[in-house]
Amino acid sequence: MKFQARFGGDAAGSGIPVEVAATTPEFRVLVEGRLLSGEAALIRPGIWSLVFADGRQWEVSLEPAPDGELAARFGNALATFDLKDELTARAAAAGGRGRSKKGNVVAAAMPGRVLRITVAAGQTVAAGEPLLVLEAMKMENEVKAPRDGVVEAVVVTPGQAVSAGEVLLRLKLEG
Amino acid sequence: MNRPRLLIANRGEIAVRIIRSCRDLGISPVAVYSDTDRRALHVRLADAAVHIGPPPARESYLVAEKLIAAAKKTGASFVHPGYGFLAENAAFAQMVIDAGLVWVGPSPASISAMGSKTASRAKVMAAGVPVVPGMMTPAKDAHEIVAFGRRNGFPLLLKAAAGGGGKGMRVVQSAEEVPAAFERARSEAKSYFADSAVYAELFVENPRHIEVQVLGDRTGKVLALGERECSLQRRHQKVLEECPSAAVTPELRAKMEAVAVAAAKAADYVSAGTVEFLLAPDGRFFFLEMNTRIQVEHPVTEVVYGVDLVAEMIRIARGEPMSIDRRPEPRGHALQFRIYAEDPARGFAPSPGKIRRLRRPQGPGVRVDSGVEEGDVVPLDYDPMIAKFVVWGKDRDEAIRRGRRVLLEARVEGIETSIPFFLAMLEDPDYLVNRVSTQFLDRWTYRRRPETDDERTAALVAAALDASEGARATRPPGAGDSRGVSTWRTARPTFGVRE
Repeated sequence: MKFQARFGGDAAGSGIPVEVAATTPEFRVLVEGRLLSGEAALIRPGIWSLVFADGRQWEVSLEPAPDGELAARFGNALATFDLKDELTARAAAAGGRGRSKKGNVVAAAMPGRVLRITVAAGQTVAAGEPLLVLEAMKMENEVKAPRDGVVEAVVVTPGQAVSAGEVLLRLKLEG
Repeated sequence: MNRPRLLIANRGEIAVRIIRSCRDLGISPVAVYSDTDRRALHVRLADAAVHIGPPPARESYLVAEKLIAAAKKTGASFVHPGYGFLAENAAFAQMVIDAGLVWVGPSPASISAMGSKTASRAKVMAAGVPVVPGMMTPAKDAHEIVAFGRRNGFPLLLKAAAGGGGKGMRVVQSAEEVPAAFERARSEAKSYFADSAVYAELFVENPRHIEVQVLGDRTGKVLALGERECSLQRRHQKVLEECPSAAVTPELRAKMEAVAVAAAKAADYVSAGTVEFLLAPDGRFFFLEMNTRIQVEHPVTEVVYGVDLVAEMIRIARGEPMSIDRRPEPRGHALQFRIYAEDPARGFAPSPGKIRRLRRPQGPGVRVDSGVEEGDVVPLDYDPMIAKFVVWGKDRDEAIRRGRRVLLEARVEGIETSIPFFLAMLEDPDYLVNRVSTQFLDRWTYRRRPETDDERTAALVAAALDASEGARATRPPGAGDSRGVSTWRTARPTFGVRE
């Protein structure tokens, strides 16, 4: 199979071509045209041990990362990247990106429980003004307004548990 | 004959730790649990367990009546409070005793005398122990704190009178910051210690936090078991502790131990306790407070002095003398890494969720105290500490090398932890020569080590193999969506969300 990879933080470009010629127990993978071979063992779902031809061993854990990316975890390093098969990569490049709605929704930066809400729908708020307080693991965290605006709706209630990225509150679109 | 039973009024790693000493002593351990903790390790390791209510601690682990009813229901005759929750609540200790149960800890009178930071300071000042200037009683309002600051100077530290562990603590740089910080500190104090009392003291710059372990029994004997170096703190929360402190000479140790014993005796102290000191760069030390409970960091003392402090607490509660005549000589050096479920790369944001993979470090010089296993969910309702890695070496350098080994061997996946933070810290030149203070970590910024080119290559190979294998396993040849999906990819993070 053929893939295109892009590491988190890398500038946009054509991506790194990766081609798998053989998988287990003996792998052969072309990365940017360079042939890498050795033995691959799938230890458990997502956990691989690779022994490269030169004898070096890597234990790699794969996991989903935000925005559909992948993360590969080593002892004390974490590589975040995007890996798409060639067709999907081409389709994504052709389709372009959707417009950002940043600033109109206030989402939880981390999982937590809503402790109290200090604003109500219709209220005018200034950038940096506290909107609500989240509590997670004995810490209280104030969620502040990202910009000046009017609260359109508060979509959570006190006591509610929220996960990271969950929408807490919406601001009205600016004229 | 039924074995005596001991109810653990706590959860997580300390509940598991206490269960272990119970087993060693032939005592039957009883657990309690909130809705969140039904599946928790401390419940599964216990002989009996009692449900005590909904997730918020103030409706479960902080409700004295429910805990006492749980002890009655299961026939427990002892109650061990662990640390946090009601461990330093004299009223709870008294309720336990009034219910005809044995409290594994100091007397309610000792807790009242020493457990409140303001009262304990008055007590030891009377015994001639030096203290940092601070308010003698909790502040009635923000004005009182501002007035104290105008008399003694800023910065000030606001603290929960009934607290510990950094909860409800705030540094205020000026009078203008006082009202907001005071309200926040009161609110946190109220939710975590069921007591909103807050006071202020002078904030001493660049001190070390050194604490002395004490142990008293009912014969009136009080021993000091050396010191712990606890200067590495973030947000006033200890993250790495050492025993002994490389900054403490045998002469200074003897002095601090003598003061600690005097402080404990002033409160007729029985059971395990800790006397905390600020050690100034010039060698002077000030009494900070006494913790009238077992400490999170007690294992480093256990490892270096060869005692089981929790077992000693239980023996002493049974009315027996402590099992040691005098303080053993310290042997080697121990470090404790507090493994928190938080993401050092994102400002240490809480990272609750399911532990998809857990490999515990093992081998020579390693002890792991943990409240979780692989597959467990770390809930967002409680403290983020999931484990303590304790390493021992013949000296500090060997302990540090073992620390690196242990942190590299461990794997915790599914949640983020403080492990990468510790690995980076163990490379810090100032830390390696023990040039630290309690402000060390405030000035220290964690940066994730960038992956090497070799790691990038290995990551790409593994991911490409995984996608190819996944595709081969789950799809017939030629099917539409060519992106491989293997099982781990569909496993989304699980948070402690109910209803």
